[in-house]
Order: sequence, then C-alpha cells, then structure tokens
Amino acid sequence: MTSRLRVAPTRASALPTDRPVVIAPDDPGEIDLEPFGDGRVVVHGADGVDRWARLGHARRLPDGRSVIEVVVDGWRFELELEDDARATLRERATRAPDATAATGPLEVRAAIPGRVASVGVVAGDEIAAGSTILVVEAMKMQNELRAPRAGRVQRVVVGAGDTIELGDLLAVIA
Amino acid sequence: MTTTAAASLRKDAADRRPPFRRVLVANRGEIAVRIIRACHELGVEAVAVFSDADATAEHVRVADDAVRLGPPPAAESYLRIDAILDAAARSGAEAIHPGYGFLAERAEFARAVEDAGLAFVGPGSATIAALGDKLAARRGAAAAGVPIVPGTLEPASVERPDEVAAIVAEAERVGFPLLVKAAAGGGGRGMRRVLAAHELPAALAAGSAEARSAFGDGSVYLEREIRPARHVEVQLIGDSDGRVVALGERDCSLQRRHQKLVEESPAPGLDPDLRREIHAAAVRAAEAARLVNAATVEFLLDPDGRFWFLEVNTRLQVEHGVTELVSGVDIVREQLWIAAGRPLSAETLAAAERAVVPVRHAIEVRISAEDPARGFAPAPGRIGRWEMPSGPGVRVDTGVGAGDRVPPDYDPLVAKLMVVDTDREAATARLARALDETVVTGIQTTLPFHRFVARHAGFLAGDLSIDWVAQEWDGAVEADRRVALTAATWAAATSVAGGPVARLAPEADDRSRSAWSRDGRTRAVNRWPR
Repeated sequence: MTSRLRVAPTRASALPTDRPVVIAPDDPGEIDLEPFGDGRVVVHGADGVDRWARLGHARRLPDGRSVIEVVVDGWRFELELEDDARATLRERATRAPDATAATGPLEVRAAIPGRVASVGVVAGDEIAAGSTILVVEAMKMQNELRAPRAGRVQRVVVGAGDTIELGDLLAVIA
Repeated sequence: MTTTAAASLRKDAADRRPPFRRVLVANRGEIAVRIIRACHELGVEAVAVFSDADATAEHVRVADDAVRLGPPPAAESYLRIDAILDAAARSGAEAIHPGYGFLAERAEFARAVEDAGLAFVGPGSATIAALGDKLAARRGAAAAGVPIVPGTLEPASVERPDEVAAIVAEAERVGFPLLVKAAAGGGGRGMRRVLAAHELPAALAAGSAEARSAFGDGSVYLEREIRPARHVEVQLIGDSDGRVVALGERDCSLQRRHQKLVEESPAPGLDPDLRREIHAAAVRAAEAARLVNAATVEFLLDPDGRFWFLEVNTRLQVEHGVTELVSGVDIVREQLWIAAGRPLSAETLAAAERAVVPVRHAIEVRISAEDPARGFAPAPGRIGRWEMPSGPGVRVDTGVGAGDRVPPDYDPLVAKLMVVDTDREAATARLARALDETVVTGIQTTLPFHRFVARHAGFLAGDLSIDWVAQEWDGAVEADRRVALTAATWAAATSVAGGPVARLAPEADDRSRSAWSRDGRTRAVNRWPR
C-alpha cells in the first residue's frame, strides 16, 4: 500500500513559518533518495546538492502519528508523519469544537483511534458542555471524550468494546 | 654515546620530573578534560570536582580522583570557594587549575588558594585584581604606552545632577556613538550604546544599575564605539623572572552578543610589522601588570590597521588551542611548569621568536548546544549520535559523548573543533571537510552556523568584523534551515513502511524501490554528498 504522507515538524521543533508537506506515491519530484543503512539517507536535492540525512530516535504518539528525529546539515528536526487521509479526518474531528456556536446537530467524531471502554450517555439524555460522553482506550491510556457543548443526545453510534478509527462518527448532539 | 648526549639525557630525566604530584581541576566539561590530559602527560595526578549534574561526566571519568561539590546550580557547586579548597585539602592536591569561567578570574579565589599554601595555576591574585578592574587596566595600559580605546579613565558620576554638564562635555570629547561600560564588567553586562548626548544620563543610570546587580560594583565609564572593527587578541605567557612573551594573536571577530563563535590564528591580513607592533603592545601592557603565567590582551582593530587596547583576560582562554596548533606550545603544560616555579621553556621562547611570521594557520569553531534558528537560544538535552571528525590536522576538545546529557545549568559549549594547515586557504578547506564528518543528534547545535561560515565567500576572503554574524547570518538562517527541512522531510518519509517513499533497505533488491529511488542509486555512485 502506498498512500499520501503528511510530514510536519512537531510543535517543539517547528518555527512559526513551517507548514506541513504532503508527499504523494511515486511523486517524481525533484528530490532523489538513497538509503545507506543505519539511519543514513542521501538526499539528492533539487538544488543539485547532495546531503546526508541522519534518522535518529523514532516514537509513536497515542493518536497514531509517528515522530522521527532527522538531522540534515546540522539542523535537527522532529517530524510528525501521518497518512494524509487520516490527518484530514483527525483534523475534522479535532476541529469539531469550532461548531459550538452552531445551533444544528453536532457530530462527535473520534480524535484518536482505539477501543471504546465505556459509554456514559444514551439517546435522549440532556448533557452539559464538558460532560463525559464516552471513554476511549488507546495505548493503555483512558481518554475521556467530552461534550463540546450542551444539548440533547440525538443518537449514540458506538458501544463499549467497539474498535474505532480516527474520524469515526461516535455520537450526535442536537 | 658522547658525553654531551649523556649530559643531555640526564637533564631530560630531571625535566621529566612532574611539576606537581597532584593537581585539582576546579572546572567541568571540555576544559577540565583538556587540563586533566595535560596533567596525565606530565605524570601529574588529576583531581576532578563535580556537581550532582555531572556525577558521571567525562571529566569525572578521566580523572584519578573526584570530589563532589554540591547540587547542580553553579552557585552551590563550581562557584563555592570553600568547597573547592576543602576538596583540594582532602585529596592532597598541591595546586589548583581554575580553567576558564566560574572562579578563574576571581581574585579572592586566587588569594584563598595562595593563602592555603597551594599553587594557583594562573596569574597571581594581585594581577587578577588589578586587571579585573577595567578602568585600572586602561590606566595601566595607557601608562605603558599602549593605545587604548578613546574614553574616560575614571568612573563616571552617575547620581550627581550637578555633574551632568561635565560628563556630557566629556562624552562630546570622546565622540558619539559611544559605549557606557562597567568597570567590573564582562560579557556585555552593564554595557549601553549611546548615540547622542541626551541619551547619556539614562544610559549611565541603567548601565550602572545593571553592573551593580551583576558584579556588586556600579562603576561605569565611557568608551568610543569603534565600528567597523575586528576583535584581535594576543596570547601571552610570562614567568616569575618577569619575562613575558607573545605566542601569537587570534582573530575572534565572529561573535554574537559578546560570545565568540569562531576563532583563528594568525589574524588574517596582518603584515609582519603590524603583527610585531600589536604583540609588543600586548607584552608592554602585561609587563606593567607584572603578569606571571598565561593571559590574553584583547584589542579592537579598525580597517585602517589601527588597534586599541580593550582589556586583559587573566586566565586560559577557551580558544587557546588555536595558538597551540600554530605555535606548537602546549599552553596548559607550560602553565603547570610556571606555576611550579620554572622559567619559560626553551620551546616557548623559540615559538615566541617565530610568532611574527607564523607558518601555520588554525581555526576553531565552538560547537554549542544552542539553536541558531532561535537567536542561539540554549538547547540542552540528551545527545544521541556523537560523531566527531578526525584525520590530518583535526583536533576536537570535548567533555561529552553519545548518550551524555547536556545540563541546562552551565555554559552550552559541548565541543571545540579545531583544524590546522599550512595556510588559511588550506585550513578553511580542512574545516569544511571536518564539519562534513561531524554529526550530532539528540540536541540542536551551532553546526549549521559553522557550516555556513566555512563556505561563505566573505569569510574565505578573510573579510571579518564583529558585526559579521548580524550582517551575514541573521538574514540567511531561515533559508538555510528551510533547505535542510525539505531534505529532512523526504528522508523521514523513507522511515514509513508502505509509505509513498521506498523503505530504508540498502541491501534490498532494486525492484523494491520506486523508479526515482533507483535513479538515485545510479547517481549516488557518481556524486558523493558533502
């Protein structure tokens, strides 16, 4: 499987002017890569200059993104890597609180993938902003999903034990 | 064997007796390691001191004995005179080498060491006290016939409104723009730039207040701002017979906020006459202060080849290594011999004779845990990979290695990369080559800046100034980083299994790669990355 990959410096590593880059499969690009093993990659740049990139420490975030350290020409970056389609879903999910001002039904979507540990509401419940809708377990961590605004629960789409993917619809608040 | 040869061998045997049995090194990091190395080469046992942040640090690992001073903050460890003297007494050290920074230029520390009956490896406490007062140093240099930066020689009156007219008149005589500087100063603290007379009273008050809080002494004075200028300093060494010689000069113009980033020797573009003149001026200033052991006289050099005395540093400098590489003298070893009462060695005297016409060129870059994209802000952390260069003409002085933590409590310097070659052109090429071999991960360092310098046309032409970093780097840093980020982004993509870019598998069959990655393989055999 090859898919589009979104790469961006982590918050700690980024300058305000940095933007995510999306790399497409078989992108002919103007950059050639040559792996040399032990975390060494030669990058044949579009500027005609060849640079050594050194891949360092890598880790996985609870929401499924991976972070890898890369050093090029003495510059050190921590880069977040994520499937671009997944990143779009995640952003849609995390952007949901923007809809608090809206009056229509609010779709609550999964901000992280995992397993639903428990559901605290049923359809018809009147809930306050910030109250717990359900709990998602990911990487052995319990993550409470809270209501972005007050309202009446219109429907609950998932149940305890369900596996959810990033961006999946979980509940709708009217 | 001839009689002369036998006598010479007997003399050599006497020479080989160590200057001390045991020396305590009152410092940490690369300079502590460097001093311990000199001790071991002389057959001297070295005692390290450490804070809790450094319990397993390199300088502790290489020492013969180590004594804990206290918690990480310097004020509770490396700056504690009582704890260091106690460590010396307990470990049986006969001498204390202060390194640079921390207590190196505190006259009260040198005096306490002397009073304890130990040898202080550096100038005496009286010399440190006399030269630590910048105004006294200026008066002494002027009296010795050394040109000083035009300005005042007595503390400026700060709080007397009735004297404002007098100080403004004095400022007009000095000329604007001028600098308000702290008499007890260093590192730019207490310094204020004044463009016009009406700014002067406020600058005097602010500079004085800052100096009082930093040094406990609010005395300030006026100095004309020399711009453009280069920072040129002369390495001196003297013995207790009153003999002082110059081992050469260094150009340290590449600075940021009064912190040196790159140093080299000889200073590019000086003709032998000017070099001789500036060395002689430095020796005169030091003789007037009865200098014994190693010190450095700092000058500003203007584009017309005029130079002005700034101050004397009564200690081993961070950048002493470049002078060692050019002169062939091991300055730390010589310091230890002089502290033990020996006169200047024949090697040092011979090197001083050669210093006006150097036949080698050395350059040092200070690799620090700082982020050049964020105004050289400190970037402490844990080092991952640590690959230092080697090969002909390369020297690395460091006190850290792979897996070591760079604590936030101290100076961010992690390594000094030095190169030496027959001339400046060869030395700059060697520097670029050595920097290509250098890899540090885990922490951001100043390496991007040094790589930029080593290939900069102006630097290669020897076109240096104390404003170089602001003029050349500050506008270039963002683009430099962006190019690296693009390369890093693509390299990172190779780490994703099933991602859009071929996986990291150098041994893999070429068919497993995308077409353009294969193309890269073909090109890689012809084009090796720098």
